[in-house]
Amino acid sequence: MSLLLLRLTIAFYSVGLLHSFLTIITRKKTLFRVALAGISVGFLCHLLAISVAWFETRHPPISELQGVLSFFALVIVLAFLLAYARYRLDSLSVFVFPLAFILTLAANLTSEPSQPFPEMLGSLWLYLHVPFIFLAYAAFFVAFASGLMYLIQENELKRRRPQAFYYRLPSLEVCDELGYRALSIGFPLLTLGLVAGVLWQAPWELDKKIIASFSTWIVYAVLIAYRLSEGLRGRRAAWMSILGFILVLASFFGTRSQGSAHPFIQ
Amino acid sequence: MSLLLVGLSHRTAPVEIRERLHFPDSSLQDALQRLTSQSAIAESLILSTCNRTEVLAHSADAQRGVMLVRNFISDFHRQPERSLHPYLYDLTHSEVVRHVFRVASSLDSMVLGEPQILGQFKTAFSLARRIGSVGDALSPLIHRAFFVAKRVRSETAISSAAVSVSFAAVELARKIFDHLSGRTVLLMGAGKMSELAAKHLVSQGTTQLLVWNRTYRRAVEMARDLNGEAIPPEELFRHVERADIVICSTGSPGFILTRSDGQRLIQLRKNRPVFIIDIAVPRDVDPEVNDLDNIFLYDIDDLQHVVDANLKQRRREAQFAEAIVQEEVQSFIKQARGLDVAPAIVSLRKHWDVVRREELARNRAKLGDLNEQQEAALEQLTRGILNKILHGPISEIKSLGQDPDAEQKIATIKRMLGLKH
Repeated sequence: MSLLLLRLTIAFYSVGLLHSFLTIITRKKTLFRVALAGISVGFLCHLLAISVAWFETRHPPISELQGVLSFFALVIVLAFLLAYARYRLDSLSVFVFPLAFILTLAANLTSEPSQPFPEMLGSLWLYLHVPFIFLAYAAFFVAFASGLMYLIQENELKRRRPQAFYYRLPSLEVCDELGYRALSIGFPLLTLGLVAGVLWQAPWELDKKIIASFSTWIVYAVLIAYRLSEGLRGRRAAWMSILGFILVLASFFGTRSQGSAHPFIQ
Repeated sequence: MSLLLVGLSHRTAPVEIRERLHFPDSSLQDALQRLTSQSAIAESLILSTCNRTEVLAHSADAQRGVMLVRNFISDFHRQPERSLHPYLYDLTHSEVVRHVFRVASSLDSMVLGEPQILGQFKTAFSLARRIGSVGDALSPLIHRAFFVAKRVRSETAISSAAVSVSFAAVELARKIFDHLSGRTVLLMGAGKMSELAAKHLVSQGTTQLLVWNRTYRRAVEMARDLNGEAIPPEELFRHVERADIVICSTGSPGFILTRSDGQRLIQLRKNRPVFIIDIAVPRDVDPEVNDLDNIFLYDIDDLQHVVDANLKQRRREAQFAEAIVQEEVQSFIKQARGLDVAPAIVSLRKHWDVVRREELARNRAKLGDLNEQQEAALEQLTRGILNKILHGPISEIKSLGQDPDAEQKIATIKRMLGLKH
């Protein structure tokens, strides 16, 4: 049942993918309303799929790679919908829709026989740890995407010869502000997620993932501190948001930790 | 009945000719009344702007209508018809629909996508309606043209990019700061163009205007005119950091703002971006300042490049707009024909059914008494023969939906089948 719902979700998300594809090819906003509707319905469907999976297996579907990817896609779509509701940024969709589609598709393809839920994972703290971490990741993805948009738009303005991006992308101010907002939402979530993780695992042993996650936390902490104190905005802040997200990806996919508390990356 | 249009525009005629054929507002009523007083012209509308003069009309016969309108234009303006010949174009039937849609959507304008033409068109339409020179024949076309124009504006970006230097500056400011309310503008030096740019920015919502000039008195005057704040000559660098947008147009022979000034400025502004528009010649700002982070420097040539790129962008968007127009023309013609064809079929059927009944009534007596079944058979027989005969012509009429000469062909078919009109 949950798998069926997940496939339905993919179908809805594919409308978003089509939109991004056509928009990039024709250099013109194409099918955005249809795609937005598709993504919104897909989101509800996705939420239902994850709830059903939870109900069927009686534990949150986050112990396998499949569940984690699917959950990641869900929070990224959520982050987009929130950012869109606030800023009406349709350009963001070109980044978000394909990612959501690919993650959900990957989740569907990697479907593996359900393994027994690892004993050590069952704890209240886990239920906080995972959602917090992924909500933070989604926020960092938005910061990453707005950083990228900032750099492209800044380049257009500096070259003084406007091309297609100049017309399509939002203003520097909006990219910068969105990036900052996303960071200031993502950072506390990451902090809470890490604290929950520490409490859940105590007494804890260091795995590579934990080390990578804390390094990520330090990078974002530095970025936020700079931004708050003054000065770091615009181009350099955009670069740091991009760097931070690369680190997030590295700590998510790049660290294998067999037999540890993070078994889904095997 | 057919649509026709006679006119000239910036594409076909130089301004010396256009001004000779211009209909001033005061003469429009008289002109429209004279036009429609001719029995061959059922309805008419005149669109006369500085870039075009066009007469749109509805007439029983397109070719005759075109001649009449051409004569009318030359008579009204007292110009020999032959002298106008190279400049006037005339369109009929579906060409008129396409042209009217393109004009309303500003695809035929001198500056592609400029929206004034729609307003002028609307004014011309409401005048013609008031006078009564436009009725049921032209109104649907014109309403549809307004609808198409609206569709083009909302579905393409044809009117969005600025095509004058001062509006391009406003647009760039928006790409940096998003909204301009609450921003501060510093005007350095006097000049028509910088004042114009400043006025545009103020009208877009910037809240504070600082004015600096080498001679303080001039600065005070300008500040009074533009409702800003004058800055004493020696205090420029104390105030420059307040400005989000700086417009330079001083007569200084060398750079007023050097690279190191720029560095200091951006430090003072704590990296908040600043947009510098240097329209002075020779330039006031060292072009290297643009290499600094968070400073965006545009000189007069850069702004012109932006305008050029915007025009190119409009031309790209115009392709999408043309596709919309094409689609709308087809659907409009189809709809109009659909309405045209049905009455012809109905009148044909009605006419021959009357003939059938009359003939039947006339000869019924000769047949003597018939039972109910025989009566029904007789009815069915005559009706059947009629249907068989009319089947060919009616399906021919139905198939004329897309034919440009549908009206004439339908008239011929009707005449052949004994209908007068």
